Amino acid sequence: MLLPALFLILGLVLGLLTNITIPEVYSNYLSIAVLAALDTLFGGMRSQLEGKFNQSVFISGFFFNVSLAAFLAFIGVQLGIDLYLAAIFAFGVRLFHNLAIIRRIMLEKFQFRKKE
Amino acid sequence: MKESHKLRWKQGNCDEMKLSNKGKIWISSICFIIGFMIAILFETNQSVELRDTRDSWEIRTALQQEQEIQQNLYNEIAASEALLQEYEKQPERQQMESLTESIELLKEQAGLTEIQGSGVIVTLQPIFQMDDSYQEYPELTAELLQFLINQLNDYGAAHMAIEQERLINITPIRNVNGRVYVNNSPIGSLPVEIYVLTDDPERMINHIEVSESNDYFALENMEIITEQVTELVLPKFDETIDLGGLDVLESQEEGES
Repeated sequence: MLLPALFLILGLVLGLLTNITIPEVYSNYLSIAVLAALDTLFGGMRSQLEGKFNQSVFISGFFFNVSLAAFLAFIGVQLGIDLYLAAIFAFGVRLFHNLAIIRRIMLEKFQFRKKE
Repeated sequence: MKESHKLRWKQGNCDEMKLSNKGKIWISSICFIIGFMIAILFETNQSVELRDTRDSWEIRTALQQEQEIQQNLYNEIAASEALLQEYEKQPERQQMESLTESIELLKEQAGLTEIQGSGVIVTLQPIFQMDDSYQEYPELTAELLQFLINQLNDYGAAHMAIEQERLINITPIRNVNGRVYVNNSPIGSLPVEIYVLTDDPERMINHIEVSESNDYFALENMEIITEQVTELVLPKFDETIDLGGLDVLESQEEGES
């Protein structure tokens, strides 16, 4: 559990230090992709806590969700429909849902340990 | 219920144990990618704000402009305050007088009165080439006339009239059905005379003679002839001034500075 967190921080630091920026036109795609990635990450955490974690599901889910989100945003731009809103909505809802479940499991775990 | 949870956590812990090193590296690298993406997004959103790329000379010029504007505003305030004090000091009859005086002054500034003074007569007339080739009679266009009027304003014209049409701040100059209309009436074909009142006619003539409007008019087979006069009478603007379409500009337009 420590290694992924370490790598997350490492990625953040490296990204900030390298000062890479992307053209503003594409920042929409990236924000969607980040949202999808976060969704996958929290989904993975949840399934880990629930004991249902599957590595290949997690990895394929990450790449599939990120590319699907970016593709949806791209199609939306081409068609003139704000399709990325659909992605933001879906991922946002799932993010909160996952977080709520994680919180509950953590809480129960905490109370359970206290009792023991 | 609690039993099942207990079971679940145990299972979870077991799964965590089961996670191979390869799996850990996979998950870690995905976390790395996520972190990197977030950092890039953060950087991108941070760098959106525009940087001030003016050099010190441009800043100085801008500052000077602002100071000029400020100075003008102060002058206006001072003048208005002086006027107000004058009103307050005077008895009622005199107050009325000074009010009418102010109204007269404003009318003069707005172009609602006849006005005379020294100035320049600018004549636009056709040039005919000396060769035998066929040539159309040159036609004045509103764009050319607008350009010339702007230049004259620039050179210090106080009051202007095109033929018998007095130019005020909101005078339209436009093409209507191939003819040039000033103040909603046609000014006719060439030659056209523009009467300009100015404090320094000689300077204005010099300016016109070297101005680029000569070239623009020459391209359309027209020439600009100037004549200095000491006594020039401009007609008054005799329509009603309609400011119905005007609104106060709340914000400065983009790209104005």
